[in-house]
Amino acid sequence: MTPDEIEDLAGEYVLGTLEAGAARAVAADPDPALQAAIARWEARLAPLSALAPPAPPPPGLWARIEASLAAPVVVPLQRTRNWLWPAWAAGASAVAAGLAAFLWLQPAPAPQLMTVLLSRQDQPAWLVQAEGGGLRLAALNPQPAPEGRVLQLWALPQGATAPTSLGLIPPSGAVSIAPGRVAPSPGMLIEITLEPPGGSPNPRPSGPILFIGRLAAAAGS
Amino acid sequence: MDSAAQLAAIAGGDRAALRALYDAEAPRLFGIALALLRDRDRAADALHDGFLNIARRAGQFDASRGAASAWTGAVVRHAALDIARRQGREIPTDDPALGDIPVEAEALTQVAAADDGRRLRDCLLALEESRRRGILLAFVHGLSHAQIAAKLELPLGTVKAWIRRGLAQLRGCLT
Repeated sequence: MTPDEIEDLAGEYVLGTLEAGAARAVAADPDPALQAAIARWEARLAPLSALAPPAPPPPGLWARIEASLAAPVVVPLQRTRNWLWPAWAAGASAVAAGLAAFLWLQPAPAPQLMTVLLSRQDQPAWLVQAEGGGLRLAALNPQPAPEGRVLQLWALPQGATAPTSLGLIPPSGAVSIAPGRVAPSPGMLIEITLEPPGGSPNPRPSGPILFIGRLAAAAGS
Repeated sequence: MDSAAQLAAIAGGDRAALRALYDAEAPRLFGIALALLRDRDRAADALHDGFLNIARRAGQFDASRGAASAWTGAVVRHAALDIARRQGREIPTDDPALGDIPVEAEALTQVAAADDGRRLRDCLLALEESRRRGILLAFVHGLSHAQIAAKLELPLGTVKAWIRRGLAQLRGCLT
């Protein structure tokens, strides 16, 4: 992109006129020139926010924010209404339980830690299972990463403040993590982020979270 | 604590600092979301998502690039725009009052009163009225190109071109 094209794109992003797909791509683009142009546009247009009259938020909203912060299973992108969230969570548990019942009907192993990560359309996308002290990831509905981007897998044990990278996800979608690199535990957060080639340049995720879920013992396992 | 220091504390996981930011800024930020979504439930969702993003991304705030209030406003605006897009922007735009957002010189005094707002106000007033109105409808009320075209009774292509040129003109005027 030429500098003028970058400015145009950043301006339309900040103005809000980009369509959903384009807006997501711009927000996730690691190009420093584009991100700097966005920051300039935000600063330029910020005074327009004064045209929106302040209004008191509903009582109880802070409590809801605090609850979400305490249990960060949230991909805010996925929820449209308060009541959808419990339904989403219940749906995810039901999918997980159903899959567990299907996968482990015959043998009777120790309680199985697992989770199913859902897509933005609430379709099961990834199955994450604790296995032999390590973790195994399988794509349920393989989708290639967008051109020029990679998917990176992370784990965040409950109580930890920074996630640990478990590496990049190959196009096959199948990943096995050796027991030494991760200690699966109930409540461990598993997330997949969109990153520049080679993965996040930082020890933490740099791109948006595409999929997220918590390990739990599957009922009946 | 100034608001940049507040964001630094939030980046360090200070929950009390986040609460203090909420107490100080929630009405302004809820107003921004409400103007974009025109529905209190959805605006509450936007403020919720926005505050989670503020908590997660406070470390990315860079005071050399703008004021803390501009940054928090932008985070909440984008959370609201994401909600608007997920709903296919099926947000009522037939409210006649929507067209009455201030575009005239004296009404834009609120813009001029904001930090760095005077210059922006002057540059907006230098735009042709339809371009100014299109830009305000998009920024303040979250209207898409198509909704602006319908509102202003102009062809879609014209609106897209005008907004693009209006932004370029603003950039030239503000630089």
